[in-house]
Amino acid sequence: MGDFGFGSFVFDRFAFGGLAGTTAVATGAAVAAILTGLYLLKLRRRRVLVPFAPLWLPAGGERRSERLARRLRRWLSLLLQLVFVALILIAGADPRSAKVDRSGRSLLILVDRSASMSATDEDGPRLARARTIARELATGLGGADRVMVASFASGITAESGFETDAARLGAAVDRIAPSEEPGDLGRALDFAGAVLRGRPRPTLIIVSDGAFGADDLARAAAHAAGIDARFARVGKRADNLALLSFAARRYPADPSSVEAAVVVQSFRDRASDVVLEITAGADARLVDRVRLHLAPHERVRHLLPDVAAPDTRLVAHLIDTGDDLPADDRAYAVVPGIARARVLRVGDADLFLDGALLSLGDGVSVHRRAARDLEATRGSWSHYDAVIFDGVMPSPPPASGHFIYLDPHGPASPFPDRGVVRDPIISDTQKGHALLRHLSLADLNIGEARRLALGAGDEAIASALNVPLILTRARPEVRVVALAFDIRHSDLPMRAAFPLLLSNAIGWLGAPTAPEAESLRTGRSLRVLLPDSGAERPEVAVTDPSGVTRTVAAQAGAIEIPVAHPGFYRVAAPPAAPGAPVRTAQTLAANLADATESDTAPAAKLVVAGQTLRPPDPPVRRARRPIWWWALIAAAALSLAEWWTYHRRWTV
Amino acid sequence: MSAARAATTSATTAERAERFDERFLRKLESLAILTRRSRISFGQIRAERRSRRVGAGIEFADHRDYVPGDDLRYLDWNLYGRMERLLVRLFEEDEDLSIYVLFDASASMGAGTPPKLDLAMQVGAALGYVGLANLDRVSLLPMMQTRDGHLAEGLPLARGKAHILPWLRFLSQIEARGRTSLAEAMHDFLRRHRGRRRGLVILISDFYDPAGYRQALDLLRYNHFETVVIQISAPEEIRPSLRGDVTIRDVETGEERELTVSPGLLDEYRRRHAALLRGLAGYCRERGIPCFPIVSDLPFDDVVLRVFRAGGLVR
Repeated sequence: MGDFGFGSFVFDRFAFGGLAGTTAVATGAAVAAILTGLYLLKLRRRRVLVPFAPLWLPAGGERRSERLARRLRRWLSLLLQLVFVALILIAGADPRSAKVDRSGRSLLILVDRSASMSATDEDGPRLARARTIARELATGLGGADRVMVASFASGITAESGFETDAARLGAAVDRIAPSEEPGDLGRALDFAGAVLRGRPRPTLIIVSDGAFGADDLARAAAHAAGIDARFARVGKRADNLALLSFAARRYPADPSSVEAAVVVQSFRDRASDVVLEITAGADARLVDRVRLHLAPHERVRHLLPDVAAPDTRLVAHLIDTGDDLPADDRAYAVVPGIARARVLRVGDADLFLDGALLSLGDGVSVHRRAARDLEATRGSWSHYDAVIFDGVMPSPPPASGHFIYLDPHGPASPFPDRGVVRDPIISDTQKGHALLRHLSLADLNIGEARRLALGAGDEAIASALNVPLILTRARPEVRVVALAFDIRHSDLPMRAAFPLLLSNAIGWLGAPTAPEAESLRTGRSLRVLLPDSGAERPEVAVTDPSGVTRTVAAQAGAIEIPVAHPGFYRVAAPPAAPGAPVRTAQTLAANLADATESDTAPAAKLVVAGQTLRPPDPPVRRARRPIWWWALIAAAALSLAEWWTYHRRWTV
Repeated sequence: MSAARAATTSATTAERAERFDERFLRKLESLAILTRRSRISFGQIRAERRSRRVGAGIEFADHRDYVPGDDLRYLDWNLYGRMERLLVRLFEEDEDLSIYVLFDASASMGAGTPPKLDLAMQVGAALGYVGLANLDRVSLLPMMQTRDGHLAEGLPLARGKAHILPWLRFLSQIEARGRTSLAEAMHDFLRRHRGRRRGLVILISDFYDPAGYRQALDLLRYNHFETVVIQISAPEEIRPSLRGDVTIRDVETGEERELTVSPGLLDEYRRRHAALLRGLAGYCRERGIPCFPIVSDLPFDDVVLRVFRAGGLVR
């Protein structure tokens, strides 16, 4: 067989993972030539003087067979050396059967590490069982299979490259850590498609409980084309109670009062009784506690109307559920801060009115201007949430803004004045109106009231026999609340209803409500826009629920905060100006809040793109030793044999 | 060849000078004193021989069986009366003993560390000195070929310890050279000493002679010389450490042969060497020749004392 024929024979049948085949051959030829040259030099014998040669020689001289044996020993030694070098080069080339290599699979093991995989229904967490399955799959390779291990929740983590080494694959599996994020199967399959593209016999094994939503499966279908996808199921049962949402808001009229709403769902097949606790603050002060009863798979929305919230941070906790997934037994909420209404009071000093406004506390910021400064304030009315005209009538009346008129009268009054009514008695009220919330006007004594005419869009909130005493105007540009009487000619200022009425009026006029505290879900990123602080690349300190603070640099005026764990996140905004102190801008609450993850019922099957994924093939056998390993063993054995024969003078 | 010759040269001039230094002389004197005190002499070497030379001295030495032709005056009638056996009395030889120390100085004697020649010359000088101290006549004769192929001249018979210094100077010049031919050396020795008084020949050699040793020993016996054989081997010759592929070259003949020294070949060599020594010892024993095989790493004074003790020479 000629050289080219032999070369074709070798290169067609083997692929080389180490030294290139041609490099190995060239190196082998060079080493063989050097070795043979050295050996020929070594064949030059030592000259030794002996005192009496006949003692060394048999009587007839050396026999022919002995000469022949001597030559054979010489060439045998050279042959052993060349074979040894050849074995070393073979090991270095790492040859693999090309036929076997082509038929080997490119296997991607995707392990689900989403929140539901922390359910403890597999004699421990599902993720531990998933790791065991992954390890068995990784070590039970076929002849030329190459395996990559990756894990996914909301993001993908490649734990290894494509490997054949069982020990490295096992270490990669051990690195898979649980998460509190929902799983994104579509993204995982997108990753799988990218890494398996162009590889021989691409095979994907998803090790998961199959807790994926319909949307997720639909997205996944788009990325599953052309891949032999299999599903290895973990999980045994569904036994979970979950807090699916938790939110809190302040009452505008009483910012110190908080209304909390929580959604609890049972994913059990049996009825459950559970205790829900709400705690506040860093010291987890109990602020509310209720017992809930849930039917099998029932979802309950529970409103807690009056939660004392001395602190903005609330934690809802399902106590002693005994379920499989504790991660969703807690939820977090941030109570929005108190929004301050800016109120301008124009009029002479009035103790009752000022006192009532003062009693509204931090929810209102009151500015006072004397009656004579009425026109001077016209330009600033749009800056206020409410402008109270106490006995003054701007002329012309404002066409836009939010106003409270106390005793409007005269030609500048927004409501035409039709005369006076003495001792009106309130006969009708709109009890459900926002202005009358939490107050009662019964037995209100009014000495005298004006008979005001209602126009389009006007509404009488409280009347005395069709004489509106408290009225509102709601037009696109202007909103007005008017009291048709002088409060000083009534006992209203001395009632508790007065400040409530004022608060309700300010609220009705459109006082700023505290923004909804943003609620985050784990697995997403929070994007926070930063005020322009003048710094070239502002940085923000983000403290996660575990208390670890890290600095995040802004990109294009915003930062991305990955939300991996439920709990409270604090974001310290940059200083308003260089050199100014840093101020805490926001506290954010993050929750799992994912019914798909909380529903720990393992999927009986996983259907992607209309196809039910089959289980993976059982592990073939223990990973075989590669050729290079055997070549090294043979080289070591040959070296030992050569040493042994050398000392017996069978070789030289 | 010159390299081979250099290899067989027993020692440099300085080393040869050290061979016979003050310490050596003190040891010689110690040996002489010891032998005198122990009444050691070379005369006893002539014991245990059937064909003894009966001396005309008056000191009774021994008995032997009567053979026809013996002088009847020496028959011991008392013993005949007791034992009914005819025995003749032997008397000490009164005349001086001539001692000839022949030592092999061929190229093969240059082998070993230290060279065998060194020990041969030291032993020869020591034995000669003992003889000188006993007022015997002693001659030192190297068995070596001169550059023109003849056997070298040695030191003539001399008496008295004063001759030791010229001897040592002479020995310092000796190099191991040439081929071994024991028979030729004996022929030459006998030719030069024809007609002279017989005596004792101490033959010191490694006996590596392709022609063998028998003819040489027989020549001495036939010419009525008492013979003592001292065979010297080097430790490297008894247990050689050669290994592998070598070309051996005979230091005397120059014959070269290629060999692969294997454990089997080494065993074969040792058997041949042992057979050579056994053969020599057996041949000597059969002919009543005292034979002393020694190894060249022994101190010469040990060798000398062993020669005397083992030879039963102590009275």
